[in-house]
Amino acid sequence: MSDLRTLGPDDELRVSLVELAHRLLDRGVVLTGHATISVAGVDLIYLGLSVVLSGVEALVEAKERSA
Amino acid sequence: MTRLVVHAIASAPVERAPAGLRGAALRWVPAGGLGAWVTPGDELAATLARDDVFDHHRIVDTLFREGAHLPVRFPTVAEDDAGVAALVAPREAELRGTLARVAGRSELALTLLWAGSQAVPGRGHAVRPAPGGPGRTFLESKRVALAGSEDRRRTAEALAKLLEAELPVERADVRHAICPSAEVALSTAILAPAGQAERLKETVTLVASRLEGVRAVVSGPWPPYTFAEAA
Repeated sequence: MSDLRTLGPDDELRVSLVELAHRLLDRGVVLTGHATISVAGVDLIYLGLSVVLSGVEALVEAKERSA
Repeated sequence: MTRLVVHAIASAPVERAPAGLRGAALRWVPAGGLGAWVTPGDELAATLARDDVFDHHRIVDTLFREGAHLPVRFPTVAEDDAGVAALVAPREAELRGTLARVAGRSELALTLLWAGSQAVPGRGHAVRPAPGGPGRTFLESKRVALAGSEDRRRTAEALAKLLEAELPVERADVRHAICPSAEVALSTAILAPAGQAERLKETVTLVASRLEGVRAVVSGPWPPYTFAEAA
């Protein structure tokens, strides 16, 4: 992620995508028992309850490239 | 037996379901008095990738616009229909309660990013070479960094309290993550009252713009991901 101290429109979009990705991967109903723990190309590493941003950033960058 | 990628839980199927992941047909699987929307596919379940994450959001968001749905955390895979029922049915009462709570309601995200001098860790604590040598200098720099992070945490907690006082929503409908990363002071999820998401988004933007030391980004509305599980 670029330096977020100087936000431009692209950075605001990126912040929104990071927030959304965080919710998709770390929120929602948890149905234990059969949940897989990996998605190819996304490094799902957890620190406490918060997805480390590097994993989410990789996801967001991939989406931006494909957009 | 085909493995199933689970997207959302609801009390009844909608008439017009969106396409599933990678264009596959989305399927409704009854589970007790509830049910779940799934994309079937053994190969799909074994090869989930980055694009599927946001495609899951497309599916959940489309369903959410048709009626109350609880998003399921991605990725969740069940072995077959019986597997879905075994995961959902035992929690039916709890899930019904959550469905009732979030029905018609969407989620906003408020991100407060450190700005100006607040963006510099340990501000106000100059690190001088200590007379005791490099070991003491290292420990002193760690102490200063810790003091800075504690300062920022206290500031972020004060911002969270200020928001709770200013925003026209119930306290139970606001959840904060304090200092979740070096750049972010506060990541807040807000459950908007039914039909008021856009108006509330304007209010949140206005309130957040008055906060000092941070820059605000307001996102959404989205399905109530953060509020799909009990706090």
